[in-house]
Amino acid sequence: MDRGLLAAGLGVSRRSFLEGLGGVGGSSLLLAGMSALGFGIASAQAAPPVLSGGGGKKVAVLGAGVAGLTAAYELSRAGYDVTVIEARDFAGGRCQTARKGFKLTELGGETQVCDFDDGNYINHGPWRIPYHHQSTLHYTKEFNIPLEVFVNDNDASYLMFGRGTGPLAGKPIRKGHVAADIRGGAAEILAKSIKQGALDQQMTAEDREQFLAYVVQEGYLTKDLAYKGTEGRGFDLPPGPLMNPGPGKPSTPNSFTDVLHSGAWRTLASVSSWEQQRTMFQPVGGMDRIAKGFEGAIGQLIKYSTQVKSLKQNPKGVEIAFVDGDGKAGTLKADYCICTIPLSVLRQLDVQVSKPFKEAIGAVSYALVGKIGLQMKRRFWEEDHHIYGGHVYFDDPEINSMTLPSTGFQGRKGVLLGYYNFGAQAAKVSALSPAERRALAGRAGDRVFPGYSDNIDSAFSASWHLIEHNLGGWAQWSDEARASAYPILCEPDGRLYLAGEHMSYMTGWQAGGIESAWQQIAKLHARAHAA
Amino acid sequence: MRVVPVLALVAASLCAKPAAAADGASLYKDNCAACHRPTGQGIPGAFPALAGSKFVQGDAKEPIGRVLHGRGGMPSFQDELTDLQIATILSYVRVSWGNKGKPINPTQVTALRGGGKRENAKAVLQAH
Repeated sequence: MDRGLLAAGLGVSRRSFLEGLGGVGGSSLLLAGMSALGFGIASAQAAPPVLSGGGGKKVAVLGAGVAGLTAAYELSRAGYDVTVIEARDFAGGRCQTARKGFKLTELGGETQVCDFDDGNYINHGPWRIPYHHQSTLHYTKEFNIPLEVFVNDNDASYLMFGRGTGPLAGKPIRKGHVAADIRGGAAEILAKSIKQGALDQQMTAEDREQFLAYVVQEGYLTKDLAYKGTEGRGFDLPPGPLMNPGPGKPSTPNSFTDVLHSGAWRTLASVSSWEQQRTMFQPVGGMDRIAKGFEGAIGQLIKYSTQVKSLKQNPKGVEIAFVDGDGKAGTLKADYCICTIPLSVLRQLDVQVSKPFKEAIGAVSYALVGKIGLQMKRRFWEEDHHIYGGHVYFDDPEINSMTLPSTGFQGRKGVLLGYYNFGAQAAKVSALSPAERRALAGRAGDRVFPGYSDNIDSAFSASWHLIEHNLGGWAQWSDEARASAYPILCEPDGRLYLAGEHMSYMTGWQAGGIESAWQQIAKLHARAHAA
Repeated sequence: MRVVPVLALVAASLCAKPAAAADGASLYKDNCAACHRPTGQGIPGAFPALAGSKFVQGDAKEPIGRVLHGRGGMPSFQDELTDLQIATILSYVRVSWGNKGKPINPTQVTALRGGGKRENAKAVLQAH
């Protein structure tokens, strides 16, 4: 929006002022309209390419994460002879779930064995599926994996902004309170400004009237254009039976200044971003149900505990050298290769590709990411605070988010996510031992929920940059690398095709891995057929 | 006020190390050691060794730029560390584990700070 125009109110008619605003939003309105008609901007592809007649041509798939599993599943169904090489002794890649007995040894770290009670788990890798990731949802449906709603937005949850100022800083405050109060306060100022003629020059009387009506409703304003709270933010004493509490007692809003200076409003826009909108899902029982679904269908194609050492190719095919779980070296020859190894790992392997391709592999950086799952003896967030799922936003970047489980409501114990950190903070926290990480998460939690740290009875943490075979949470393309290196990697180098979340504009999401695999196998198939 | 444990004072006087070195060691441990390891050996195939690294000991601009802006698997530390802290860490790294680089002063960091684009910036509340 051109603020200069709004401020000056000159050189533009009242009518064209509004039209001008519309013009700025033109493309997004068009897209919204398209979505309504079913031509939306959700997953670029909602279903795999229909392939047939693979004719037994051999395809080597490197990596059994969701991208590799997708490629292997679809290609084998189309009649290709597929072999998957997987470094780990299980399928899924980052699609992992830690539950009782799950082991993780970070590079240079001690071995953690997850000791949660049966039925409890933490998705320390991917943990959410937005409703518009139709590709991921295609496979949860295909493999009959039950879903449940992941509570990604919860008005009852707390915002904790220690870096703000004023009386609300450093105190847990309900998200719904902040949302209502900032909305009401802003609307009040806007409405009064309109009444005082602030927009008389810019808007027609008819437009102004409608705009004011909107602002009054949006901000729950009274007839005298004041925000005095709203029942939507809850009650000091909720309404109930008979005379006591009877009608209850309305809640008192926080002062606009206090809310502003708390900084807590900074979180409000996050859950409305495209990737965070409701409805959000998770598989019942853990994200690795997706990997298990694929495994049930094509597990026999996977060579587990087998590490790729090098890839050579010539105009006729590819040859992959590997070392298997017994330390025995071997080679796999194939007509084509789909490589889903993260670029952070691939850059270190001996791969025969063109120089520009090799350089492009090295152009991307990988996110440092840390998560910790804490099994709590009691679901105090539900029992004492009435918070059922959702995120506690915490502006210490070593923590960022404490996320309450969207499963097992009203059960005895529960596993919550104690921190979700990135970059330099993830580096710092990952230098700590598992016990120190647990203590750090506990100290932060105590600032929000009294007794938090005393309730921790088991912890499991993961630092993705220190996990062998991944060396990072997800690819982070700089604008420059996206423009120069990424397009090179989108095309095959000889007989090598890359797929994975890194080969998408949905980095860090399983849908990016699945859909990149779909596109690459379609290209491979077209070429194999033409040959 | 910073309370210095008696033992640490004794140790410091015995080793006769300047205070900056002790700070450098602890800052290094907190911010760098997870990947580059406490002895600067890195993790082969994952994170480069700092011990014996020409890059680390050479032109100060290079390592300063790397810490400020990040690259590859290395995050940007420009918002997390002050110029003094970065200079202290790098000075420590440049003379530890057999390295023989020149120390770095904070003004050299300040000079390179402006204008650098942060590569790893991500709206954390909108992560996956």
